[in-house]
Amino acid sequence: MKLRDQFRFVRQNMKKNKTRVFMTILATAMGCAFLIVLASVGFGLQKSVVKEMLEQRIVTQIDVHGKEVKDGGFRPINIKDIQVLEKVGKVKAVTRKIMLQQESTYKIGNYQEGAETYVSHFPSEVKAGFELSEGRLPKTENEVVVGYDFPLNLGTTDEVEDLYDNKGHVKKKYRYPENLIDKKLDLTVKQLKNGKHVEKKLQLTVVGIGKKPTREWMQDRSVFISDQVLKEIESFTGTPNGAILGPDEPQQQNPETNERIYDEVKIYAKNMEAVQGIVDQLKDKNYATYSVVNELKEINMVFTIAKAGLIFIGTIAILIASIGIYNTMTMAVTERAPEIGIMKAIGANPKTIKRIFLLESSYIGLIGAVIGTIVSYGISYAVNFSIPLIIKQAFGEEMPAGLTFSDIPLILPIICIVICYVVTIISGYRPAQRAVKVDVLKALRREV
Amino acid sequence: MITINNLSHEFVIGKKGRQTIIPVLKNISFKVEKGEIMTIVGRSGSGKSTLLNLVSGFIRPKDGEIWINGTKVSELNEAKLADFRIHHLGFIFQSFQLIPSMTAFQNVELPLILKGVSDRERKQQTEEMLERVGLLEYQDHYPSELSGGQQQRVSIARALIVNPPIILADEPTGSLDSETEEDLLQFIKELNRDLGITFLIITHDDKVAEIGHRTIELSDGKIVEEGVLV
Repeated sequence: MKLRDQFRFVRQNMKKNKTRVFMTILATAMGCAFLIVLASVGFGLQKSVVKEMLEQRIVTQIDVHGKEVKDGGFRPINIKDIQVLEKVGKVKAVTRKIMLQQESTYKIGNYQEGAETYVSHFPSEVKAGFELSEGRLPKTENEVVVGYDFPLNLGTTDEVEDLYDNKGHVKKKYRYPENLIDKKLDLTVKQLKNGKHVEKKLQLTVVGIGKKPTREWMQDRSVFISDQVLKEIESFTGTPNGAILGPDEPQQQNPETNERIYDEVKIYAKNMEAVQGIVDQLKDKNYATYSVVNELKEINMVFTIAKAGLIFIGTIAILIASIGIYNTMTMAVTERAPEIGIMKAIGANPKTIKRIFLLESSYIGLIGAVIGTIVSYGISYAVNFSIPLIIKQAFGEEMPAGLTFSDIPLILPIICIVICYVVTIISGYRPAQRAVKVDVLKALRREV
Repeated sequence: MITINNLSHEFVIGKKGRQTIIPVLKNISFKVEKGEIMTIVGRSGSGKSTLLNLVSGFIRPKDGEIWINGTKVSELNEAKLADFRIHHLGFIFQSFQLIPSMTAFQNVELPLILKGVSDRERKQQTEEMLERVGLLEYQDHYPSELSGGQQQRVSIARALIVNPPIILADEPTGSLDSETEEDLLQFIKELNRDLGITFLIITHDDKVAEIGHRTIELSDGKIVEEGVLV
């Protein structure tokens, strides 16, 4: 018997008991919709969390915090480590920064700004994607590059109440009005010497302004000085990285250039796929690392467990619906026993009879699953639309922007349809077996 | 050709522990030659229906062998037996055994569907067969919309549609009036003469028994008389 004819038989049989079949399909559709909507919450929240993470971090970036030493502690990264890190495969760049260990104030005329000061390695920064919005990179020791937001925060020294706008920048009317390129800034550094605060001014020329950070919420107010300027600061403060001494703190030895340790070391992988491999290699070399991929892995694992749990709970609904399918199919076999008997008598293969009933149960299951999927997309849309409104009405709070409460990726309906198909095959199997075992003579005598 | 060798059968009735064994057929042997009409007569309870059901493969014999066209059907499994039936046997039942939810056309077409014949061939063959039994104009009628004679013709058309060499008939005229019975017997004789189809018919009706080239009388599960039509 051809498959097409088997389908025709199934459709004819289903038409005979439209109401019963409809109710069974309805129950299956409800089970499927329940499963999909339930699991879609897990998918939606995962999507929101991952999206949030990826928006805040660069996925190819790996932070290197230090290297494990024999006693179990960690030591900071030095130039020798940088050389090791640069040799690791699929590494695009290794950026390193030394941070000036005191609050630095920059002044030009009547305008000033406090900013973080770094010594950076520009060739590796450029490799990692650092770009200037205007100007050039420093060539001499007194030339500096400032972050994109530095000029926007260079405000008047006069006392004003409404200095900042709603974006956190100094208002235009209080801001340094000219272009900063080729302008000279005074950097003031301090130290406590013999119980007294002493200051030193260094004059630096701005030659470049960094590009606007890609993240909307980020501000870059850094100033990048040269290694020679840092040495000059260190020779004034008498401390490594220009740290200010406490009242009773003794003088410290200034480090040699080749002994410098870095406050911030970042590795940039060539692509996202390479990150895990680099992290594994660094782990083998006892470096302490952190990357968003690590965090993503953990978050994805937590959500995978949550989603599996939700799908399991949803599957219970489908199992309940499968009782309906079992009942419908059992009744169908009982009602059609004479027909089965006639078919067997004239030469229907037992396998064909079994297949017809299994097809019928899976047909009910699949139609239910498809309807359930369509309905669940509707419910998901309605939930995403209404939940923010309900939360706003009930609690007076705004939902975080971009939060997806329910998300149905393609894999979810596929999982649901597969589960539904398996469950309906299982629930239709026993009635199909009963159909195969129908006694021909009893069926012909209408005794079953 | 049908060969029955030392065929015995019994039914077990009653509840477990208080079962009674009732022998129905006792060591029966006979042959039905190719192109022959063999009728089996006997009173109710003589075992003739059981004999036909055993030959049909609807029940398994307790003992003995059944050979049909060189195949030992008494030892075939369910699937092979089904395959054998669709290719070698046609059935005519007393109560027609048509599927009520199918039209005359669909009932006749059913064996071809089970055989996996293509749509086009099925339509052509079914229409030819319905024309042959004089029911082409009734092809879209359901069994409940047909007379007893017409239903039995549909049943015969369904049996003939796969061109079986053997037709097994269980009281084929049992539900028909005498005029329709006469037409049907004539039709059976034509089929036997024109197509060489072998018939094994069980009946308690003398008129039916008379169309047989040979007749066997069963009594109490044994062949009591075997005769040739004069």
